[in-house]
Amino acid sequence: MSETMRTIHFTRRTLLRGLALLGVSGAMLPLVGAPRPAAAQGNLANLGPEEPVDATLKRLFGGRPIKDGSSVMKLELPLIAENGSVVPVSVEVAPPPQGHVKSIYIIADRNRRPMNAKFNFSPGVTQPFVGTNLRLNETGDVRAVAELSDGTLLMAKREVKVTVGGCGG
Amino acid sequence: MAEIGRVRIRIPSSIRQGDIVKVRVLVIHPMEIVERKDGKPVDKNYRFINRVLVTYLGNEIAQFETTQSLSENPFFSFAFKATEPGALKVTFLDTHGGKYEGTADIKFS
Repeated sequence: MSETMRTIHFTRRTLLRGLALLGVSGAMLPLVGAPRPAAAQGNLANLGPEEPVDATLKRLFGGRPIKDGSSVMKLELPLIAENGSVVPVSVEVAPPPQGHVKSIYIIADRNRRPMNAKFNFSPGVTQPFVGTNLRLNETGDVRAVAELSDGTLLMAKREVKVTVGGCGG
Repeated sequence: MAEIGRVRIRIPSSIRQGDIVKVRVLVIHPMEIVERKDGKPVDKNYRFINRVLVTYLGNEIAQFETTQSLSENPFFSFAFKATEPGALKVTFLDTHGGKYEGTADIKFS
């Protein structure tokens, strides 16, 4: 899995670098017509789909069981976000006894596209911690899902009250 | 607005070997959100950062896949173990092919 991803990312990087040298801007890429991975597109069809959060969880994790990880995960969010366009979030996962934390997903239930961000870590990272600023559309739960290297899924969630929504889309 | 693509990396002022270092990275970027017209999303090439690569001593330690659900001028914080002095490099890639880089020297005091 990680091997394939590495290959893709390497190719994409090379491709972008090559195009930059040629002076071709990213906006012209659709004209080139080469099929690219969804993450590389800026077009609407290639953004995450608009869907309810249950569909997102199903799409990302299939039917795999998600365990409650609130004892090992620290999810920090404000209780009330006055401005939905800047909501600080941070997730810290206690290092698992075996293996490592492969990725952390941040999912906002009430956003049109609930899948917000995915943070992947290399096996050598012993301190899985991330923080960023989210845009939240309206009051609702924000979830953090940690995927361990053995495939276990852990989830923690918190409700955030949003006074002014921050998402146009 | 400040120029797009300026990257700022904040590291603690003193780092000792073996420390878990928390880093904050900020990039100036509009992170365009989907526009709507009559309730329907407008199809266009939105410009936002969709990938962040973090390398330390030449090895990739983390890679983030991001969407428009992150704020304008996004910041990311993360932690890593400082094993040796060297460069910490963060690369941001956006949907328009932009590539923005920032580096910080990890030195031990």
